[in-house]
Amino acid sequence: MLQCIFIISNSGEVILEKQLQGHRADRSLCNWFWEYAMTQGGELSQLLPVIASPTHYLFQIFREGIIFLACTQVEMPPLMGTEFLCRVADIISDYLGGLNEDLIKDNFVIVYELLDEMVDNGYPLITEPNILREMISPPNIVSKMLSVVTGRSSNVSTTLPVATQSCAPWRKTDIKNSGNEVYVNLVEEIDAIVRSDGNLVKCEIYGEIQVDSNLSGYPDLTLSFANPTILNDVRFHPCIRFRPWELYQLLSFVPPNGQFKLMSYRVKKLKSIPIYVKPQLISSSGSCRMTVLVGTRNDPGKPIDSITIEFHLPSCVTSADFTSNHGTVNILADKRCSWSIGRIPKDKAPSLTGNLVLESGLSSLHVCPVLQAKFKIMGVALSGLQIDRLDVKNMPTQPYKGFRALTRAGEYEVRS
Amino acid sequence: MAPPPQFQRSSSPSQPSGKSEISDLKLQLRQLAGSRAPGADDAKRELFKKVISHMTVGVDVSSLFSEMVMCSATSDIVLKKMCYLYVGNYAKGNPDLALLTINFLQRDCRDEDPMIRGLALRSLCSLRVTNLVEYLVGPLGSGLKDPNAYVRTVAAMGVLKLYHISASACVDADFPSMLKRLMLNDPDSQVVANCLSSLQEIWSAEANTSEEAAREREALLSKPLVYHLLNRIKEFNEWAQCLILDLISNYIPSDNDEIFDIMNLLEDRLQHANGAVVLGTIKVFLHLTLSMADVHQQVYERIKAPLLTLMSSGSPEQSYAVLSHLHLLVMRAPVLFSSDYKHFYCQYSEPSYVKKLKLEMLTAIANESNTYEIVTELCEYAANVDVSIAREAIRAVGKIALQQYDVNAIVDRLLQFLEMEKDYVTAETLVLVKDLLRKYPQWSHDCIAVVGNISSKNVQEPKAKSALIWMLGEYSQDMPEAPYILENLIDNWDDEHSSEVRLHLLTAVMKCFFKRPPETQNALGAALAAGLADFRQDVHDRALFYYRLLQYDESTAERVVNPPKQAVSVFADTQSSELKDRIFDEFNSLSVIYQKPSYMFTGKEHRGLTDISEELGNLSVEAQPAAEALPAQIYEANDVDLLLSTSEKEEVRGPVNNSSAYRAPDYDSTTAALVSSQVPLEADLSIPGLPAYNPQVSSAIDDLLGLGLSVAPTPAPPPLALNPKAALDPGSFQRKWSQLAISSSQEFCIEPRAVVALATPQTLLRHMQGHHIQCIASGGQPPSFKFFFYAQRAGQPPSFFLVECLVNSSSARVQVKIKADDGAAAGDFSALFQAALSKFGE
Repeated sequence: MLQCIFIISNSGEVILEKQLQGHRADRSLCNWFWEYAMTQGGELSQLLPVIASPTHYLFQIFREGIIFLACTQVEMPPLMGTEFLCRVADIISDYLGGLNEDLIKDNFVIVYELLDEMVDNGYPLITEPNILREMISPPNIVSKMLSVVTGRSSNVSTTLPVATQSCAPWRKTDIKNSGNEVYVNLVEEIDAIVRSDGNLVKCEIYGEIQVDSNLSGYPDLTLSFANPTILNDVRFHPCIRFRPWELYQLLSFVPPNGQFKLMSYRVKKLKSIPIYVKPQLISSSGSCRMTVLVGTRNDPGKPIDSITIEFHLPSCVTSADFTSNHGTVNILADKRCSWSIGRIPKDKAPSLTGNLVLESGLSSLHVCPVLQAKFKIMGVALSGLQIDRLDVKNMPTQPYKGFRALTRAGEYEVRS
Repeated sequence: MAPPPQFQRSSSPSQPSGKSEISDLKLQLRQLAGSRAPGADDAKRELFKKVISHMTVGVDVSSLFSEMVMCSATSDIVLKKMCYLYVGNYAKGNPDLALLTINFLQRDCRDEDPMIRGLALRSLCSLRVTNLVEYLVGPLGSGLKDPNAYVRTVAAMGVLKLYHISASACVDADFPSMLKRLMLNDPDSQVVANCLSSLQEIWSAEANTSEEAAREREALLSKPLVYHLLNRIKEFNEWAQCLILDLISNYIPSDNDEIFDIMNLLEDRLQHANGAVVLGTIKVFLHLTLSMADVHQQVYERIKAPLLTLMSSGSPEQSYAVLSHLHLLVMRAPVLFSSDYKHFYCQYSEPSYVKKLKLEMLTAIANESNTYEIVTELCEYAANVDVSIAREAIRAVGKIALQQYDVNAIVDRLLQFLEMEKDYVTAETLVLVKDLLRKYPQWSHDCIAVVGNISSKNVQEPKAKSALIWMLGEYSQDMPEAPYILENLIDNWDDEHSSEVRLHLLTAVMKCFFKRPPETQNALGAALAAGLADFRQDVHDRALFYYRLLQYDESTAERVVNPPKQAVSVFADTQSSELKDRIFDEFNSLSVIYQKPSYMFTGKEHRGLTDISEELGNLSVEAQPAAEALPAQIYEANDVDLLLSTSEKEEVRGPVNNSSAYRAPDYDSTTAALVSSQVPLEADLSIPGLPAYNPQVSSAIDDLLGLGLSVAPTPAPPPLALNPKAALDPGSFQRKWSQLAISSSQEFCIEPRAVVALATPQTLLRHMQGHHIQCIASGGQPPSFKFFFYAQRAGQPPSFFLVECLVNSSSARVQVKIKADDGAAAGDFSALFQAALSKFGE
């Protein structure tokens, strides 16, 4: 299993090292890794997630400028390594309120403590955020305040979570919350590829149901959908009972305390997309005229917010200037153009026009930029998935139940 | 580019400037050690933080050990944790001082807070100091019986740690059977899981020496235990589930009912949020149903959706791992995913490693029903900003074309690529058009028309240029310009640096000559002359070969160089089906990612490579690897036996000729006058009974003869031939080694690729065996390895060469000491050894 975990900054410095086994992995491994990364072009996000070094097999993931590197010398399931590193990154980022070199350096004791509980002798142990929170409290302002007031300066809770003994490992039995409420959020991401002629190549929705539960005791929840048949494939939090879903498409579960991802799903073959983006490129003798039109295509019923169009100029373009009749256009250093539109105005269709100057010797543009659109729509789940009802049992008083929905663009790209 | 790595931070000014700061810390720690003042804990905490942060950046703070231990008497749990961390890191280097920590750790192991008991026990087991083992057994034993599950969890894993420090202490204390009892009876799932993983490792390691352990290991796969775990699987956390699923994938059910039972129990695991659990379940399903073809097919159907979801919803790193597995499955059942091809369309923002795998998937699942859409999509990528993906996409179009029946539309697309006038697109396309023509000669007409318009000046990449030249030669009858383009290329022979292109040029001009002699004659003469003058051995040899062939007989030459060709029906696959099956057996392992079965990249004794001592006295212990190597050796020897009967000489000389012992004779114009008649090669070539010289060779060749040759090879030194079946037992090796004096000692560098290949030292042993150099013992830990080789000279009198070879994989340096029965031959052998080593990793 895993032998060692290194946390490395994007300049190649080892921020933290956690040996997991008696058989130590030498730090020179990071040197090898860094040299390897440099020979691969130095683009850290493009590095293979699983690499074979002369002495070890390495798993690595790259998150917000930080590399999480784990090594092993024995055969093991690859997803176990990768998935575990993803969890480590998520949880550290969750605890520290972000990920960067300084945050980790300031809080390295917390990171060590977390890793200590998350993995023992190379075997992943506890990665459930709720349980970890009970063992090691995050370094937030509240706990700092508390330590000042009470004089107790430990960020380790004195009690051990009893969760490991209950039959629902994600929830301890005697939770007491002052609030009595449960929120269900539908968050959907729309992934689409649109061809230059406006035809839809592929359109799919990836959705998550996020629940924030502040219920006391041992509540039993049942969530039902009005139209569960539209779901193509679902993945569940361990708390969901499989039988009721299989038989009646009901989500029956005892929730963990606090925020968690109840389920994720895919909805395939969507026919309609909310906005259109029409790029046009006309080349003539060494320059290229580019126009982009944006507008609402199928009105989702709620306003479409924070629309942004981004694209990379091809490397053969030497200079470009853009003007738009709505919103602002920025050209960033790495030839990346960003046109932020915001909301589409009622009276006109936003358009962007510009002139691209090509490298000398090129008469027309052969490489077409791909435009990526970002937007979000509050209050709508574009897949059409509807929550029918949420029943709460095992509770003395009915809690407050809140429902929200949000759709945003995931990988929404338009080819030109 | 990011700035260069800065690992040696200790030398940078921002870091503690060495001793002064550390001694400062030391002083402060001492002052605090006995203090019970109110603020002492906070002050200690700040100090500890400083110490740990130094440790983290790699500064050696081990000199503070005793002070840290003195300060460790505290009730503050964070302080304790930092102290444990520090102690765990430096105990191994200070075994004597580590004894100091035992006391407080043992006391903490009896603390009333289970959290502290657990933490202390974990730290105690992580000290890794051999002479402290006796202090470990007690706390571990009581830890296993602790009322709190957290402590038992830690203790179960602690047993494994103890085993790795001292296997005998662990077994003597009867810990394995205690673990077994816990595993079967403990109510806490995490304790059970930790017991399972500890027992798996312990019994697998013990199984080599003890039959009982081997039986116990088997018992882990017994029906009651498997069901015990299966029925409770939902109680385990996700990682423990992975472990159990991995165990079950090795379980062999007794009948079909049992198979269905297990699959029913596990079916909902396919819906789990953790990808590792999903893949583990899929592995169980696939393995269980291997013998039932129709159910196996249903399993494919069932796992499709979860796999696609995993691929499209996770982070790119997860997608990569899942895609590698999908790729493996698609190879076995391409039809399965053929309707889901859109899932493998590349998204612009994905990293290229994901895109590459997706392109491979698209290639693999293309069939009659979806080819059109897939190829259309791939053509979009050809205009992609990312050049490497554009290239891959074009290659993918070509591969699809080669595996389809209806290539009509694809050929048009490929030809459109040529009109894009981007040099890399043109280059990739040319290579594909060449392959396409080899398979579908009927398309030559359309292709040639387009290819003929390409200016060879726009094609620079050797592979593409070779393809273009091949087509010019092959279809010169259809391309009016062909001889002139070729002539032009030959005129610029010196500007062409790739030997591949030069070789193709020679062949193409020959073909062209047979089809259109008058136009090509001059070009052929020039090409052969240039070829003969080439300093590259291959080019030179081919030119010479063609020249003599023409000299001998023109029509024979034509039959040799330009025979009627049959269309290629299937191009050779790079991976054998056997290999693919092997990888499939190792589903959900690193093998799938590397696309190699594990034996090709991981050694069984990877971790077990015991240090080989300086003295050869230990050799008897090392006899095991030597014995393991033996079957392979015999196998090899048999192979060689077969070969020897036909061409003993070449076989044995092979490796020598490739070495530096043989150098190509240079063309020397000053000796041109000596030439033509005495070219000794002619005699070699002329077969008795056939005319040695054909006087009707074209005038071009006469010219060439005028140029003259001096290709008299300098006689190669008598090569040293090694006995492929050499055998030497460790005992006599040891004796010889101590008797003989060192006859040659060298130090040199090896190639980086060899260093990479050294990740599994076994490959070196196999490689050297291929050169008839056997390994008798090997060992070492990365980065330094040690090998003992021996070899025997073929023929009489048999004389042995013994080699000690030290390889340092971090500096890529090799030290070789050679001892030989016949000291005079040691030099030759040394060269041979070095040559063999230099080819390692190719």
